[in-house]
Amino acid sequence: MAGENFMKKLAFASISDLRNMLEQGEITPEQLAGYYIDRFAKYDKELNCAIEVFDKESVLTSFCPQGPLKGVPGIVKDNIAQIERGLSCASKILEGFSSTYDATAVSRLKQAGALSIGRANMDEFAMGSSTETSAFGIAKNPWDISRVPGGSSGGSAIAVAAGLVPWALGTDTGGSVRQPAAFCGVVGMKPTYGLVSRYGLVAYGSSLDQIGVFTRNVYDNALVLSAMAGHDMKDSTSLSVEKKDYTQKLDGSLKENLKIGVIENALHAEGMDPEIVNAIEEALKVWERQGAKISRITLPTLDHSAAAYFIISRAEAASNLARYDGVCYGLRREESTLDKMYSETRHDGFGAEVKTRIMVGNYVLSAGHAGDFYNNAKVVQRMIRYEFMQAFKDVDLLVMPTHPAPAFKIGAFAQNKLQMDLQDYFTCSVNLAGIPGISIPCGFSKDKLPIGMQLLGPHLAEGLIYQTAHAYQEQTDWHTRHPEGFDS
Amino acid sequence: MVKITKEEVLKIARMSYIDIHEDEIEPMVKQLQDVLSYAQRVKEVAHDVAVPSNRRMNVFREDVVIKTNPEPIRSRAPQREGNYFVVPAIIEK
Repeated sequence: MAGENFMKKLAFASISDLRNMLEQGEITPEQLAGYYIDRFAKYDKELNCAIEVFDKESVLTSFCPQGPLKGVPGIVKDNIAQIERGLSCASKILEGFSSTYDATAVSRLKQAGALSIGRANMDEFAMGSSTETSAFGIAKNPWDISRVPGGSSGGSAIAVAAGLVPWALGTDTGGSVRQPAAFCGVVGMKPTYGLVSRYGLVAYGSSLDQIGVFTRNVYDNALVLSAMAGHDMKDSTSLSVEKKDYTQKLDGSLKENLKIGVIENALHAEGMDPEIVNAIEEALKVWERQGAKISRITLPTLDHSAAAYFIISRAEAASNLARYDGVCYGLRREESTLDKMYSETRHDGFGAEVKTRIMVGNYVLSAGHAGDFYNNAKVVQRMIRYEFMQAFKDVDLLVMPTHPAPAFKIGAFAQNKLQMDLQDYFTCSVNLAGIPGISIPCGFSKDKLPIGMQLLGPHLAEGLIYQTAHAYQEQTDWHTRHPEGFDS
Repeated sequence: MVKITKEEVLKIARMSYIDIHEDEIEPMVKQLQDVLSYAQRVKEVAHDVAVPSNRRMNVFREDVVIKTNPEPIRSRAPQREGNYFVVPAIIEK
């Protein structure tokens, strides 16, 4: 392993290329892990995408020298358990806590030969769209460090975009994989609810949470998902589906007579950046040239998805986060009585955004309000799900923007959190319906910021989504562009 | 129209077991007011069309005892005595 060009090639190499290099003996797994760990040391002071990068020796102790991801390093969002590693959810309340086991997603990746070299920064408890609420500090977008990387899986998206690792795990409750993927110009997949086990994922909104994958191209993404998808006895909401190789149909062609529907009320929603509309229209032409039929459809209830999402996610968060009470693990404030200990521990341990969401959740669930808020939100959720199902009777896949604008400036929404949260509405509808969705790069703004679009399918249509997204990447080069300054 | 008051915020904070300091009340009133005013539209939107409800099912598995060592889990406790978690007095003296 030597030479500046070789090193350059390594930084942004695809998983497939890395596999070849490893197989040919051009590089060893130990060298590769060391190489990426060194890149974090070099670049992450500025980006702040990792909460911890492990030392090489400890990474290699769990190395399983076989499988499709043999020797390929990646990073794991810090709300996914890794055995005997810290697990903070970027929150002070989990100060000093370490996990006693591996999440199923992590153990399956390890069994497939992959190496986890660290814990990725995130919004506290995955609550946010900018990675600004982390107790470990703000993470920065590698395309423009005055801007946010998106969130909540911002650290994972940055690490992949800046060539610090070829894959990263994130989690997506209302868009937390797809939106940072769009902001950082990488591929982000949120699978069908239940496809990837949530065992070892710290719960936020349990009926919406799903572990997802970041990579720089669609093929790599399919490789990683193939290694971790499938039924797990330890998660009762995991679907009874067998392991599958999602790379099988990735030959650059589209499914015969593929029908793609564009969600018009999303594409032309108020406040949409025209540059994003244009980028998506151009992308549609690429698929059209490849033989797809494009139609325009409207999903009226989609416009209300943010309202339903706010209520359901906060309600579930309030219940899930009740467990942080200073008794069994994590932070404890010493007080004279039990009640005071609970209240002070939770006051000091949770950040402002988390506290607000718990409060909103307990409000919408409380006697006198649950009828108006929670119950109605569940009806709206059902309506959204139904509209998607109806649409998928006419088309195979749907397209809509990932976000109405490219990455915003750090602090842009400090005075108006609601405005930031409302921008989730293209992504959170997908979680409400439980369907899979991918965000892939489809252009750049005049400020040289990446633009992403979502491709959605019915439940368990990951194979078709990957095939269609991969065919697009065979015809375009947006995904091959990298931010400047991370080459050496 | 949702109208969040200071008293309501204090009540929910108590319910949530989150202490709230004097200077934190006003911003919290505003945050809750903003989110809930927006979210209340679900009441107008929700109408029971003939939407099939989600398929619900119970997931069963064999009740097999798997031996695990609880010690690593106990060792995460802020305060313990043997197999017990220690907490402050429940009733104030």
